[in-house]
Amino acid sequence: MAGIFSSLRRLYLVIYNWTVFLGWLQVLYLAVKTLKESGPESVYAAVEKPLILAQSAAIIEILHSLIGMVRSPVTATLPQVGSRLYVTWGILYSFPEVRSHFLVGSLVMSWSITEIIRYSFFGFKEAFGFAPKWLLWLRYSTFLVMYPVGISSEVGLIYKALPYLRESGKYSIRMPNKWNFSFDYYYNALLVLGFYVPGSPHLYGYMLGQRKKALARAKTD
Amino acid sequence: MIVTVTTRSGRELIKGGLELNDSATVADLQEAIHKRTKKYYPSRQRLTLPIPSGSKEKPTVLNYKKSLKEYADGNTNNLTVVFKDLGPQVKYSTLFFFEYLGPLILYPIFYYYPVYQFFGYKGERVMYPVQTYAMYYWCFHYFKRIMETFFVHRFSHATSPLSNVFRNCLYYWSFGAWIAYYVNHPLYTPVNDLQMKIGLGFGVVCQISNLYCHILLRNLRGSDASGGYQIPRGFLFNIVTCANYTTEIYQWLGFNVATQTVAGYIFMVVAASIMTNWALAKHRRLKKLFDGKEGRPKYPRRWVILPPFL
Repeated sequence: MAGIFSSLRRLYLVIYNWTVFLGWLQVLYLAVKTLKESGPESVYAAVEKPLILAQSAAIIEILHSLIGMVRSPVTATLPQVGSRLYVTWGILYSFPEVRSHFLVGSLVMSWSITEIIRYSFFGFKEAFGFAPKWLLWLRYSTFLVMYPVGISSEVGLIYKALPYLRESGKYSIRMPNKWNFSFDYYYNALLVLGFYVPGSPHLYGYMLGQRKKALARAKTD
Repeated sequence: MIVTVTTRSGRELIKGGLELNDSATVADLQEAIHKRTKKYYPSRQRLTLPIPSGSKEKPTVLNYKKSLKEYADGNTNNLTVVFKDLGPQVKYSTLFFFEYLGPLILYPIFYYYPVYQFFGYKGERVMYPVQTYAMYYWCFHYFKRIMETFFVHRFSHATSPLSNVFRNCLYYWSFGAWIAYYVNHPLYTPVNDLQMKIGLGFGVVCQISNLYCHILLRNLRGSDASGGYQIPRGFLFNIVTCANYTTEIYQWLGFNVATQTVAGYIFMVVAASIMTNWALAKHRRLKKLFDGKEGRPKYPRRWVILPPFL
């Protein structure tokens, strides 16, 4: 029974990782094509559907680590995936005003490159039990550049959306109401920006540690 | 007896060890360490017996009341203990006092002062009776908790790390301000009169029961402060293991029924889940301790914290 279960788990993870990989590959292809043909202002329109699909698939990843199907702790997955989903759904999807900003170009490029490497790395590991050395190196090195680019694009886009958040009052709940509750999406965005301040260096430090461990292990193998 | 004190990395904390007489207790050793190191007063020290390297067992923590001989394992000349610095410590009563002082001061500020000007609400604010009752209810609650801290509670641990003061104050102060903001808001919507009376009435009964539970717990621990565990008995403890938490949670329910804010309910759920963790641990410990074997009493069947659910 245990054997069947673990094979099923592996098969499922192989399919999952390679499917999402294909999604991000399509995002990258469309993004590069659009950047070459027109410019960063049309990137969002070109990648919208696959981007939203591929990014939302990461919700399943949180479930994976919650039920212990993969080893990465949910405390590491949740903030990363959460901030990406926030930018995808809560900013870009909800506020078309920022979609034509040039930062969308760098955002989509850095996300898709990182994810293509990451999903193929896990796809290899689940399918064959190992990943090629060059892929391991890429997995634990590209973030050195991609994270700062990605994070500054995220922060920049949230910042650019702030006036629209405030003006529209979208997703905000105002008093008076029966349950005496209010929620201000604009202040919520400021809070999110505040979390990036300690969050980003923490995440970067965590990845540096992972890099050191993974590359040292690869050397001894 | 020569006592060697090492750190967890194996370095000798006090060069040459400490010379103590044979009848010395762990407390005497802690005093001696304090005298030599100056910095590490007894409550800052955690002393354990060394564990063999590679062993996954938890090390034995030395009890300050026991004699060193009990840990020396027959060898009366030498003893090695492992020292860990627990960091700066504060008394439990100090920790509690500062936790509760925040809500006690912050809430009336929202009630009495025109703070809502800073949130963009101009003009006069008309207060509903429930807002006034809620303010007195809230202040009575935290005043009671401060009084209990100094005159009722007996703490099983004397001190707590200083860092807990900052963490706990952040929790109590920010939740307090958040709830106060909504209950005293110029655009506050009250519930009907009957619901308010039921909520506040039930809440007051729970608060008084909570005080009585705390007095029972104090008497349970006895004046010798032995810290030994006993089966809680009397009043609601005959039904629930942690009746003190039950009454605390239900009095917040009363407050929330009367004031009806989402913030208040969120606070209640967070507080209840924290207390449920503690209650489950205590229930498990009591059941293990009083297993009904070898003459030990059997722990009676009881709810853990939230009858009729848990």
